[in-house]
This record gives sequence, structure tokens and C-alpha cells, in this order.
Amino acid sequence: MAKKPYGSTFSDVLKTLFFGRRAATLSILEEEQVQSPYRTMLKNFREKWSAMLGVYIFLGIFLAVFILPIFFPLNLQFQDPTQQNTRPSSSFMAYNKALKGNVASIDGGSVFGVGVDQHGKLYQWGTLTAKLQKMPPSDVQYVQVSAGLDHALALDINGKVHTWGNDRFTLNMIPPELSSRKVKQVLAGHQISIALTEGGEIYVWGNSNLISIPVPRDKQGSFTKVVANTTLAAAITNTNELIMLSSKETPFTYIPSEIQGKVQDVALTERSAAAVTTDGTIFVWGGDDYGVKEIPPTAQGKAIALTAGRSHFVALLDDGSVASWGRNNYRQTKSPRLTDIVAIQSAYYQNYAIDSKGNIHTWGLKGYLMGTDQYGRDLFTRLLTGGRVTLTIGAIAVIISGIIGIVLGSFSGYYGGKTDMFLMRLAEVVNAIPFLPLAMILSAIIGSRISETGRISMIMVILGLLSWPSLARLVRGQILAAREQEFVTAAKAMGITEMKIIFKHILPNVITVVLVNLTLSFALCMLYESSLSYLGFGVNEPNATWGNMLYGCNDSTVMSLYWWRWVFPAIALSLCTVSINMAGDGMRDAIDPKSNDR
Amino acid sequence: MFKYVLRRLLYIVVVFLIASVLLFALYKSVPGDPARMMIEGNKANMKPAEYEARYQDAVKKLGLDKPVIVQYFTWLYNTLRGDFGYSLTYKMPVRQMIGVPMKNTIMLNVWSLIPVFAITLPLGIATAVRRNTRFDSSVQVITIIGYSLPFFVIALLFIFLFAVKLPIFPISGVQTPGLKGSPARLYLDKIYHMALPLIVMVFTSLGGLTRYVRATMIEALGMDYIRTARAKGLSEKVVIYSHAFRNALIPFITIMTGWFISIFSGSVVIERTFLWNGMGKVIIDALNQQDFAVSLAMVMFYLILSLIGNLLMDLSYGFADPRVKLD
Repeated sequence: MAKKPYGSTFSDVLKTLFFGRRAATLSILEEEQVQSPYRTMLKNFREKWSAMLGVYIFLGIFLAVFILPIFFPLNLQFQDPTQQNTRPSSSFMAYNKALKGNVASIDGGSVFGVGVDQHGKLYQWGTLTAKLQKMPPSDVQYVQVSAGLDHALALDINGKVHTWGNDRFTLNMIPPELSSRKVKQVLAGHQISIALTEGGEIYVWGNSNLISIPVPRDKQGSFTKVVANTTLAAAITNTNELIMLSSKETPFTYIPSEIQGKVQDVALTERSAAAVTTDGTIFVWGGDDYGVKEIPPTAQGKAIALTAGRSHFVALLDDGSVASWGRNNYRQTKSPRLTDIVAIQSAYYQNYAIDSKGNIHTWGLKGYLMGTDQYGRDLFTRLLTGGRVTLTIGAIAVIISGIIGIVLGSFSGYYGGKTDMFLMRLAEVVNAIPFLPLAMILSAIIGSRISETGRISMIMVILGLLSWPSLARLVRGQILAAREQEFVTAAKAMGITEMKIIFKHILPNVITVVLVNLTLSFALCMLYESSLSYLGFGVNEPNATWGNMLYGCNDSTVMSLYWWRWVFPAIALSLCTVSINMAGDGMRDAIDPKSNDR
Repeated sequence: MFKYVLRRLLYIVVVFLIASVLLFALYKSVPGDPARMMIEGNKANMKPAEYEARYQDAVKKLGLDKPVIVQYFTWLYNTLRGDFGYSLTYKMPVRQMIGVPMKNTIMLNVWSLIPVFAITLPLGIATAVRRNTRFDSSVQVITIIGYSLPFFVIALLFIFLFAVKLPIFPISGVQTPGLKGSPARLYLDKIYHMALPLIVMVFTSLGGLTRYVRATMIEALGMDYIRTARAKGLSEKVVIYSHAFRNALIPFITIMTGWFISIFSGSVVIERTFLWNGMGKVIIDALNQQDFAVSLAMVMFYLILSLIGNLLMDLSYGFADPRVKLD
């Protein structure tokens, strides 16, 4: 069998498209005489820069949304109100260089951090609200800092408390009793502030509607350390007993009895508590999610201090290394190999470790590449997974409408007469009902009966079932023209079945036009899907698509303050549809030599 | 010609009947019992027997006791008379409640016609005449971008630029709340609120239409009669505007009709984004509140509009292009 000339098969076309044309080795007497139609098309296509640009952009987007989610998986159920509406940044742990080598105290807030150096100077970094930027006077020497959700506390060398940041919910009203007492430890929590005095007394102020921290009167005066999460606080007494400061009975209050009297340190995540006893043993109780009870064996029996974030624990071991376990969605348990550590501090998703030279080591969440939405979800991973859903819906809808359109169009064009009449009326019916309102009604009626995941398939089917008429008309027109040609007559004369004539003899002749149309309607289907989702009648929460990420973004607050919530999905969607249309447009020009003049 | 018109009319009636059957089937498949919903509010202070009687009354009133075919024809008859049923959320006939939104939508759409015409025609002609120049190819790329961008992305961008960053226009709404004054002042206020949605609507329509004008113009300019006209020594202006443009206008009218119908359905997105109290907003609200009578009335309206549009298009085609008669 003779070798086919290069460029005459479809795979050659693809090869040439992406790897460039093979250099032709023609002798001086030869010349390129005949180009296969595919090759002409390809040449036309490659010469059009906008079309090639479209192909490359689309390929980039396609690879990104289908490969990157493997590395950045999306947990649909994950929400964290403490991280909501965070602007894009990577500075959550970008501590001031001046702290290097002489840090005295450091702490992480929800999306920011505070630190104080050995000279008593205060620093803060990360995403700071306008109120947080108003730091307390700098002529005071500070010794300890603590950061909370959106406020921070600092303790100066005279034992006085300073607060800044959020000043609502009486957070700015430091209890008057503290003015006559020397404070030992300050703790900024979830809209709550706690101060522990040298005399072992705990004072609490802030949003008591959100969390109430009752301090038992008989224990007042015996506390040595206090920690808190967003629902309650825990304190250690001078007899190494652990007391949960909570008005309700919760899983936290079931403190293992064997540790009482031996508690050395305690830490609280959102759902669980951990304590380390004087002999270095770690106990974890409360909720058992994200592996918070899987204490690394290397840490057991050697721990001397404990800290916790939203749902992970970090332990400082007696050999100066650290071990962390629990949830790892933001790499917050990926602690580096550290030695010579003297102090650790964890908060939310950030971790700080200070070694004996005063150097700071950090791991955990640095920030969000594209910010977070109103539920504190990382927009970058939602954008990737949402893109995958959007592209998949568009592709399957096009396949459905392509099959219907080609089959009905072919029958209609080939048989003509009554079949044609009936099918074209059907196409007119579907075409006559405006697309968006009908799709919305269908989605509202069917969608109320199926699950959220079922809705995705439903949208594909609705889009596919409603968008075939234009393709059917196109195929019909092409086939009408082709069926009178000689090769069809020849095929008929040879007794080939009509099905074979339609789909094996005529269709391949018109397939290029069909492909162009399918490409363009792919972009159209994506647009329709995202319009539906944007209006709230397509794919809904918690599933992500580019359209529903924009749902509710026409609000003036979101528009102006949380620009990242609409800018990134809008750019991704626009880039994708524009690139598909540019490629499709180039294809149309390439296969139709006449349209080069157009 | 008469036969052609008759045939088109017949087609449209057939299409309307099939579509109305489909829509009626949709209406019947809506979850919930409309009769029960109608008397739902008074259930608590009624005896069971009384409730049952009221329920039977409602069934009779809504005609639910008759066979489906009769229900369909009653529904069709009422719809054609302009009686679109009863809105459960607004507690009034649909016809009454959609008056204002319909006016708003039509106002928005009709106003957008003028700038769209004023921009696409000259731009399309200019790119066709100067085709394959740098001007043409850059307009080509811009128009691709223009018609590929989703409506709501353009809308969000314009809100951000002209209502948030540069507060020239109001972000959303139809009227300044609580504004009182002369009708002229109220109308001006409405126009002011309409400006941004209008700009967005015009902007989204430019891409596709400009490309279409360009394509039809190029086709017309390639015709033999253009060569003849040039050979006669006519000025280029006469050739383009008198000979080529008038012939290019025929397919352009077709596409304009299609576009005008499609913006009615496309304005759903724009109305939702700008909280413009139009039919698109009504349909969304109705669907969110499971008020299916209203949403179906809307779709019926769109359907009738689109069929009338198609008919006008066919007729104008028939009148404008003598070749059509032979069909």
C-alpha cells in the first residue's frame, strides 16, 4: 500500500497544528503541486494569528482545569467563616524581617499576624483591616502579643493591656479592674479578649452574645494559663488541673480524669481539645475529625508544649523538634524538620516556631492566590474545579445537541418531503420558544425533584435538547446540496443502503462545516450554562461553576470591596469563550476559501 | 405571493399549536395542586367540610375537574384573549401584574434599537469596504471578543467602572426611591436609571451584528452589478450606499428581527443584574416563588412575540426580495 502523502490524514493535521510543519525536502526540480484539502485548511488556519492564539489559550485553560484540580482538590463541604472575603495575598506569615533573631512573642490571627521583638517593638503583617492598621502607641515597650479574628491585644512591660483592631462588641473596653492589677497573659480570641493576671485571675470582655466564658469564682486566683477557640476557653490552674470555661456541657468538658493534676499544657481546635501531661503524654478528646486523634508515635511521651489551629495540633518535643497532626487542607501539618525550637505558636492555619537563636520558622497557609468568597472558601480551587464542571457541561451538551442535530438534519435533508416538513417544524418549535426563559422553567420544575449533583446532568440535557435546531438546519442545507451530486447517485446505483449513503458517503463531506458549528456552539453552551447558573437556575451551591461563582456578585459591596470574587471567574469564563470563538472563527475561514475574502 | 404568505401563516399556526401543547404539558407537570394553593391561606380557620367545599369550588373555578383536552383548549382560548391566569404570590390576575414590567422591558429594548443601528451599520460598512486592512482586522477581533463575552460579565464590568469606581450612574433599580415631581422629571429619572443597562445591552449586541453587516456587505460588493456600476463611472459613494447597501439590507433585516427577539429573552440576564423591574425579573421572581402561572405567561408572551417576529421577517423578505415568491 502506498504511503499517504503527509498532511492528508487527520492525525497529520493535528501533528502539524501543534508541532509545526515538517520541513519539506524538495529538490530543485520538484515543487509542491497539489495540497490536500486538509492541508490547505491547516495552512489557512495557521496563518490566522487570532485563531492560533485562541487554540493555545483554550488548550492552556483546558489543561489547567483538568490537571490542576488533582493537585488542588476541592472539598465541597468546606467552609470557614473566619476566612471569609479575604483578599488575594500571600503575606499571612510574612513577618517583619526585623523580628528575625530577636523575636519575643508572636501570634497569628485569622488572616494576619502580630509579633513583638526583644526591644519591645510591635510589628504586624498579613491582611489588615483599616482598624487593625491603627496600632497602639510605639513609645511603650511591649512583651507579649495575641491576635484574634479581627483584633489584637498587646501586653506592655508594666503589665498593662493594649487593644486595637475591631472595637465593636465592647472589645475596646478593657475592664477597669485590670488597671490595678498586673497582667501576665493576654489572649485575643474570636471577638473576645481574655487577660490573665499575675494573681491568677481571668478577666473576659468582648462579644458575650457570641461566646460566653464563665469563670468559676472558687478557682479565680489559681490560673496559670488560658487558651480559647471560637466557642469556649480552657485554663490550667496552679495545681496542674484543667478547667473548661464553658456554660454548656460539650464534648470538650469530658476531660480525661487521669490527666487532672498533671496538666502541663493545653490546646483547643474547633472540635477537639488536647492536653500534655507533665510526663510528656498527649491526650486528645472531643470530636474525632480530620485525624486529630492520630497522634504521631514519635511525639507521644516527649511533648512539652502544645498549640492548635482551627483543626490541627502542633506539639513541641523535648528534643527541640516539632510534630503536627490533624487537618492538612492548607499544608498546616506539613511542619519542616526543625531542631532547637524553644517556642511554638499556632493559630487558624498558620504556625510559627521560634528557635533558641530567635529565628522564626513558619509553615501552613501563606494566603489565598485569588482570595476567598463569602463562606471563606479558597476561590482558586473553586475556579479550577468550577472550570472543569463548566467545560464538561458545555462539552456534553454540545455532544447531545450534535447527535440530535446531525441525525435529524441528515434525515431531513436526505429524505425531504414529509419527513423534512415535520422535522423542520419541530426545529422551529424549539427555536421559537426563547431559550433562556424556557431553560429556566425546565430547570425550576425538574430541578426541585433531584439532587444537586443530578442538576449538573439535568443542565447538560436541557442545553443539549434545546440547542440542536441551528445545527440540524445547517446539516440539512449541506446535505440538500450534496445529495444531488454524482457520488451519491453512484452509491445509490450500487445498491448501498440509505443509512450508509447518508452517514458514510454524504456526512464526511460536510463534517468540517459541522465541526466548526459544534465548536461555536460549545462556547454558546458554556455561555448558556453560566448564564443559567448566574441567575440561580443552573448548577447551585455547593457545586462550583464559573457561572454560579458570579451568582450574587452584582451587589455593590461585592463589586467594590470584594473585587476578587467576581474578577477571577469573569476573566476565566471570558477568556475561555473568547478563545473558543476565535478558534472556531478561524476554522470557518480556513475551510471555506471563499470566506477568505470576507 | 399570496400563496407564500398563506403558507407561512399556516406554518406559524402549526408551530404555535405544538409549542403551546408543550408549554401546557410543562404547566401540568408542575409540582403541587394549584387549587389547594389557591385556598391555602385560609386553611387554619375552616372546618374540614367547609375546606373541602372551598377546595371543590376552587377546582371548578380553575376548571381542573374537566378532561385535560378541555382544560388545554380553555387555557389556550384564555391565553389568546390575554387572560394569562392568576398569580399566586401577587394574588391578582397575571395580566394586571405584568403591565408595568412589560412596559419597562419594552422601553429598554426599543431604546436600545437606535444606538445599535447607529453604530453597527456604519461600522459594518466601513470594515467591509476596507476589508483586510489593519482597521478591519482589529475590528474583527474586537467584535469576536464582544460577542463571546457573557452578558453578565460585561454588565458587571460596566457596573464596576461606571457605577462604583466613577459613580456616574446608579448601580441598579428603575427609579430613585421616594422621588416625587412632575411626570417629565420622573421620566428623566427613569432614563437616568436605564442608561447603564442600555449601554450594556447595546455593547453586547454590537459584535454579532457588526460582523453580520460586514459579511452581507462583502457579499454584495462582490456582485457583478457592482462591477457594472463602477464601470459606468459612478462614484464610490453611490456604489456603496446605493447599490451595495440596499442589497445587503435584505438579509440584515432578517437578522435584525432575530436579534430583536433574542434581546427580549437575553434581557433576563441584564434585568437581573441591574434589578430592572422588567419581565425578566418577573420571570425569575415567579420561578423562585414557584408561581408557575406567571412564568408560563411570560414564556407564552415571548413565544407569541417570536412567532410574530418570524412572520414579519418572512413577509418583509417576501416583499423585499422578488426571488422569494418563486419558493
